[in-house]
Formats: sequence, C-alpha cells, structure tokens
Amino acid sequence: MYLHSVFSKPGIARLVLLLSITILTACDKQSSSVAPAFNSSEWKPGGNTTIPTSNKIRFDLPAANLSPPLKTDFHAGKALAQQPWIKAPTATDSRDGLGPLYNARTCMACHVNGGKGSTPNNPSEELFSSLIRFSIPGENKTLGVTPHPAYGDQVQSQSTSLAHQLRHIPSAQNIAKDVKPEAYIFINWTEKNIQYPDGTNITLKSPSPVFKNLGYGEVGKNTLVSLRTAPSIHGMGLIELIPQNQLDALTDAHDKNQDGISGRTNQVWDSVKQETVPGRFGLKANKATLALTVAGAFANDLGISNPLARSQPCTDLQITCLKAATGNDENGFELNQSQLDRVIFFNQNLAPVAARNLDQKEVIAGRELFYETGCQNCHQPNFKTGPSKTLPHLANQTIWPYSDFLLHDMGKELADNRPDFTANGQEWRTPPLWGVGLRTKVNRSTALLHDGRADTIEEAILWHSGEALKAKKDFMKLKQKDRDNLILFVESI
Amino acid sequence: MKMLKLAAYVASASLLVACGSDDKDSVSAESRLLETNAQIAYAVYTDSVSTAKSLQTALSTFKASPTDANLEAAKKAWLVAREPYGQSEAFRFRDGPIDNETNGPEGDLNAWPLGEALIDYVNATGNDFDEETAVIANSAGINSNGSVDGTVADQNIVQSIVTIDADLFDGNSATNADESDVITGYHAIEFLLWGQDLNASASVTDGTDRETAIKTNDFNHGGQRLLTDFTSDDDADRRHLYLEVVVAKLITDLESVQAEWAPNADNHRADFVDTSDATATTNKLTTIVQSMGTMAYGELAGERMAVAYDGNSQEDEHSCFSDNTHRDVWLNAEGVSNIYYGDYAGYDSNQDGVDDITTNQVSGYGFDDYLNDKGLSNLNSQISTALTNTETQYKLLDTAATDNDQPFDVLIMTDNHSDTNPVLTTINALKAQSNGFIEMAEELNLGTVTVTDSTEAFD
Repeated sequence: MYLHSVFSKPGIARLVLLLSITILTACDKQSSSVAPAFNSSEWKPGGNTTIPTSNKIRFDLPAANLSPPLKTDFHAGKALAQQPWIKAPTATDSRDGLGPLYNARTCMACHVNGGKGSTPNNPSEELFSSLIRFSIPGENKTLGVTPHPAYGDQVQSQSTSLAHQLRHIPSAQNIAKDVKPEAYIFINWTEKNIQYPDGTNITLKSPSPVFKNLGYGEVGKNTLVSLRTAPSIHGMGLIELIPQNQLDALTDAHDKNQDGISGRTNQVWDSVKQETVPGRFGLKANKATLALTVAGAFANDLGISNPLARSQPCTDLQITCLKAATGNDENGFELNQSQLDRVIFFNQNLAPVAARNLDQKEVIAGRELFYETGCQNCHQPNFKTGPSKTLPHLANQTIWPYSDFLLHDMGKELADNRPDFTANGQEWRTPPLWGVGLRTKVNRSTALLHDGRADTIEEAILWHSGEALKAKKDFMKLKQKDRDNLILFVESI
Repeated sequence: MKMLKLAAYVASASLLVACGSDDKDSVSAESRLLETNAQIAYAVYTDSVSTAKSLQTALSTFKASPTDANLEAAKKAWLVAREPYGQSEAFRFRDGPIDNETNGPEGDLNAWPLGEALIDYVNATGNDFDEETAVIANSAGINSNGSVDGTVADQNIVQSIVTIDADLFDGNSATNADESDVITGYHAIEFLLWGQDLNASASVTDGTDRETAIKTNDFNHGGQRLLTDFTSDDDADRRHLYLEVVVAKLITDLESVQAEWAPNADNHRADFVDTSDATATTNKLTTIVQSMGTMAYGELAGERMAVAYDGNSQEDEHSCFSDNTHRDVWLNAEGVSNIYYGDYAGYDSNQDGVDDITTNQVSGYGFDDYLNDKGLSNLNSQISTALTNTETQYKLLDTAATDNDQPFDVLIMTDNHSDTNPVLTTINALKAQSNGFIEMAEELNLGTVTVTDSTEAFD
C-alpha cells in the first residue's frame, strides 16, 4: 500500500528526465557529474524498514516490515523506554529503582519521539535533554576514560530526594537532600560572526556550561568536560548490521590518499566479549554494541541497573547515593535481562523515514553539490546490511544513513578535548544524516552537532573544520542559491 | 445505536432545530455521528465530575469522622468514580480536551506508575535496601554516613514538613514534561486509601505469591492501610489534607474537560460538531476511529495489559493498590464500544455489571448506523461480533477477580499464564476488534489508521 503511494508516483520518471537534462547541461560546460546516478533506493533510506512520511512524523515508530507478532515485542520494549521509572522502594521490583541520581526518568524524555534532545537557548533554563560528561586525564582500557572521582563520568542533575523533587515549593527548601543532585547545569552562549566570500554574514553560537549547586565539591581544574545532546535513535538496528569490513574499507588512518581526511575506528572495550573491538555507536563511537549503548544509558541516564551495566550511578564518594533504596530484583537488577532485551529490540526496529523531494530541481542540484564539495567523503551515503538470523527483516537492506561511523578530527572549535578510548579530544564520529530534515517535525528540537550549538544545517556545516575544512570552504565558496540547494538536499534525505 | 429508540428520534429532531437547517433531510450522517459523539463525551465527563464530587464528600465525611465505615465509604466512592471515568478514556488519543498537548489534564488525572514513595511511607522488598537497612521503609532519610536516620528529614511528602496545598502540583505533575513523579490524580487517592497491595501477612510480594483482589464492594482485598494512619498516627491530619487537595484538583481538572464538551458554548464541542468543511469532517471521523483503535489496542491491550502480563509486572497494573484493574479493563473497552454504537448507558454504582445510574444516558447515531447507511452492514456485523467477543472476555476477567479470587495481578503471575488466561484472551479480542476498526476506516475512505501504539495517535 505504502509502496504504491510513495514509489509509484510519476516523480521517478520526471527525475530521470531532469537528471538527463542536468547531465546534458553539465556536458555543455565540458565537465561531468560528480554525483553517482540517482538510485531509486535513495527514496527509502532504511530499505524495506522505511516508513512513509505522514501526518505524524516520528523516529520512534516500528520498521515498516516488522511482522505484526513482533510489533507486540516492539511496543513492550517501547513501554519500558517510555513509561516513567519511579523512586524505590515500591511494593514490587518492576518499574522502580529510578536513580538515586539520574538525568531523566524515561529514555524518551530526552530522545523525544525518538528525535534529538536540545540545549536551552535561555541561560536561565536548566539543561535537561543534554548532559555533561566528566573525566580526568588518564587512560582506562575498559571504561575509555578515567571518571571524575566524585562525579563519575556523567553529571546527573536529578535525584530522587524529596527536596529536589519539590524544589519549586518554598516549604521544601528546608528538607535535607538525602541524595543531592550532582549539579544544576545552565548554558551560556558565546556568539561569533562568520562571513562568506560573497559577503553574507552569519552568526554562530557556542555553549559553555555553568554548574550551580554542585553537590559533591568543586569540579576541579583538570576535569575534562563534554556537553552532549541526546542523539536521535532511529535506524540503529540497520547500523548495527553494517558489516565491519565495509566500515574498515573506509578508514584511512594515515591519510594515504592525501585527501586531508583520515577516518579511524575507535577501539573500545566490549564488556560482554571481554575484548577490545571497533566501536560504532555513541558520539565518539565509544560503544561496542547497541546492546551496551542501551544498557549504559539505562544505568547512567536513568539510574536503572541491568545485567549489562550492573552498578548504581553512584561514585565511592557518594555515600547516601550508595545507601539509598534500589529497585533491585532477586538477581540484583532493576531492569532484568528479558526487559533489557525488549528495549534493545525496540531500538533495533526503529524505522528511518522515507526521503522527500528528491525529484525536485533544487534538490537534484543540491545533491550534485553535496558530492562536488566532498560531503560524502565522511557522510558515506549508503551501505548494504549483512545477514541476520535474529532480525532477518533488517538484513541485506540497501540503506542510506550518510555516515561512515568513523572518527574524524573536526578541528579545535568543535573539540571537547576529552579523549575516549582511542578517540582523541578533537575527534567525533560522523553522525548519520538520514532524517535530519525532519528533526523539527519529530519534536521541537533544532539542535545539531554533538552539543546542540547549531540550529540549522548551514550553521552545522560552518562549524566543520579539521578534516572537513576543505569541504566547508568549498561550501562557503558556493553561490547563495547553490548553498541553499545543497542544504535542501540534506534536509530531504 | 444498538436499537432504535424514541429518545434517539427526539435527539435527532432537536439536533435539526439546533442546526437551523433549511432542509430537515440535509443533516448529514457525519453530523449526526459527531453530535452523538459529543453528547456521549459530555455525558460521561458530567458523570465523572459528579462521582468525583461524591468522592470529595465521602473524603470529607471520613476526615470529620475517621471510622472504618467511613474509610470503606470513601473507598467505595473512589471505585464508583472510576466507573464513568474509565469509559471516558475512549475520548483520548484524538488531540481533544482530555489529552491535547497544550493543556490536557490527563496526566494529572490518571497517570501511573504513581510515585508512591514520594507521597507516603511504603514497605520495601528485601532487595530494595542492602542488608543493614532491609527492614526500613522510606519514612526516614539517610544521613551523611549512609545510615538510615530518623533525625534526617523525612523523605516523603506526608511525613515531611512540606506544605500540602495545590502548589505541590504546580510544576510538579505528569503534565510537566517528564521531570516529575506522578503524585496526584485518581491513583494518588487510591494509594492513600488502600495503601500498598501487600500480602495478607503484610509481607511484600516477590512476584510469585500475590493474593486475592477486592470482590464487589468487599474491602478485604487490595491494599490494607490501617485506619490508624488516619486517626492516631502523627501524620493523620496530613493524609486527610493530601486527600483533600488531590480530590479538589481532580474535580477542577475534570470540570475543565467537561466544559469543553458542553453544548451551546464557544468550546471544543462547537468546533467538533461543525461539519461545514467536508475535508475537516472526514479528518474528524478518521481521528475518532484512530482514537478508538488506539485506546483498544495500543493503550489497553498493549501498555495496560500486555506489558503487565508479559513482564509479570504489578507496578504496570493500572489500579494496583485497590486491585480494581479488572474494572479498568472493562470500562476502557466499554468506552470504545459506546462510541462505536453511539450509546452511553450510564455507569454502574455497585459493580454488579449493570449500569444503574442512567441520568445522562445517550442513545444516538453510531458507527454501526453509519456503516449500515453506507451499505456496509456486513462490516458492521463483523465488528459487532468482535465487540461482543471482547465483552465476553473482559467479563471473564471480571468474574475471575470478583468470584474466583484471581484478580489481574494474580492472573499476570508467570505460573498462571495459559492460552485461556482471560488477560490474554482479552488482549487478543481487543486486537481483533481493532483490525475491524482499521478496515472500517479504509471502507469509509477515512484513510489508513494505525492503532498499535498509543503514541502513534494523531498529534
């Protein structure tokens, strides 16, 4: 039904025609198209899992080809990701165990509708769907970083303490906080002006966190601080199924081809396999598997212990946190293995949304410019997922995530200077671009880049530097209309 | 409507006059459908308000005279208040007054899991604390040495010094993004009246040993909060006060929704019954069908039943303190059926299975009539059969709870899982019924509706 409605439209024929015209025109100018020929699979970035655009565009919907019986599992997993966890103790072991320190009481509170979190523009508004990572200098083979001795590797701004929960009530001010939140975080913004070669000006802004009500002492001068906005979560199961050799083939650690772009895999600890493996999840590709990503988020963001991330979110110095009630079951977990499996299944089956407008003249022109300026050198357009016995519907799909899932030096300005496993302080993992144009329809977040500093694709491009400097410069040299078209293409994929 | 009744003709006739139509025959089927839908909404919210007010009266009587009899009367008033409200939930998931994103109060009325540990003392399972503190509940804080310490301020609202007034819920409620515990609504009252649903020995269930539910108006089941919590206990007055504040907010919130469905006012209803724009009218019908399917499948069969059943999760049980979940299931399903048939029979004041309070009864034009008028009577028969089957299954669930000592939380225990478990058969019946709604939307050219997920509802 959906196949008919989206893919049988006359647009394809029109597109082919337009493409031919473009090529003809290009030939007239004694040059040829850099972009590969349009492939009809570009309409479906998630292959057969792709869901159509409709009046409710979200990134938390099930893969289009998920069978009805498995949808029940998907929704059971979604319920665990979406319904609020509550303070322990309660009468039962299910659903309680929030915190004692936490960032949010549900996964979807930050990944709103499956989309990105945000960073508050107003300096007096508390940070919520983004978080701060802390560490101190030093390497750690299994954790990737050396956690801050008092705060750990993540600042949790919420606690289950009554005084914190009722902090808007004057009469609650005098209640002792038995578990103090680690800090309330606010963001100050610094603006800077950028000028295009054609004279156009644009203002960019960068965030710096402000810590108030620090619960466990000073942050410390040596502390490495990294602000991270919750990423969108669609298409994760497909990304998981990209064969590692396809990613390895894209690496060029020593830039042998001298294009200025290296591309490295992060080498991270897999606590299940008990060995170092290439990472591909997380903003620094610092997570070995999707399962460990989900489990880690439960433990650190929600304070929900589980079989893959067993500890409570308390450091040795946070005594009241360590002693507070847990929601543990008889095995010592707040989220048991079968519940965790369901949430992982939910994450694996989140559908990418169909591309839009790829047959429009401006978008076709923008597509050409995307490839001309070399965006695809890191935003690797497509892959074919490998086989899967457990998730056959995700297997052997041609997908268009527009990421190589490798680390790249993005320059000093984007750097958080916080190494993580083998990623250095200037490196970030290329984020997938699929669905990026839908972000404000999915939720109200405009936040782009790791810390939400860019509100538009244009701003995000202008922050690129380091290995992306040449591509950024080539973008800036384009005429306004061409820049607009390139952005239109990115908004369409 | 299930049967043509004189009352329905009268209602239609008055509708014609109200519309000021030149031609009596010009009132469209769509208009009649929407008008009936609005009448049911107003009726069911009116009954929700009046039963909430009765609950308020019962709570105030209980405060003035905190006896066992008055505690039971308050519990009964709570159970009765749930009867119309449960049916009203079929008006969710359509961006209507109850749960629109801007100011719909649904989260404050009926959200759970409740953050009971923030409201009042609770008993903990042995797993909840390490060994040295295993027997201690949350009525004391933890001092900086990590010991449970009564001198540290209490860590729940009732037992602390926090002022209990409406400000508690201002900026701290389920409708406030996702940063707060649920501390208000029906289930907060339920928790304060019943307390935790512990075992008969007052021990905490380990998930394998849950015991019996309430029987009809029999309060020897569910939570067994001691009367002394409301009499001699140090915080007795604060519990009464908490109840007073929560029930006042409950009434205010319900009245705000009721007002949006009142006839002859500049409100949601006025827009809702306006059929002047054909496209908008079609969209409204689509939204209603989407809403019915979402309530039945995604919300009721899925989040309210399957999640609890699959995970043997008592905390996911809707009314987990009173063990009244079998009624929630019945009422939610009945609410959907009401909208399909264009009928509202009233509510059941003594849980005997008969809607005996019929003051605001509605018998109007439903989707059954609409399908018949569109020449789709076969589909109507098919859906009616599915609805009847759902009714059969949820009545088995009700019987299990009330006659066989097998309430919802016992039925979901892993050892009790079977193909004939009424929780499972009701889930399956609701799914089948929702497939009928999907087909109905297609046959009526209302577009494709998705019903599997309550968050997939129209935004």
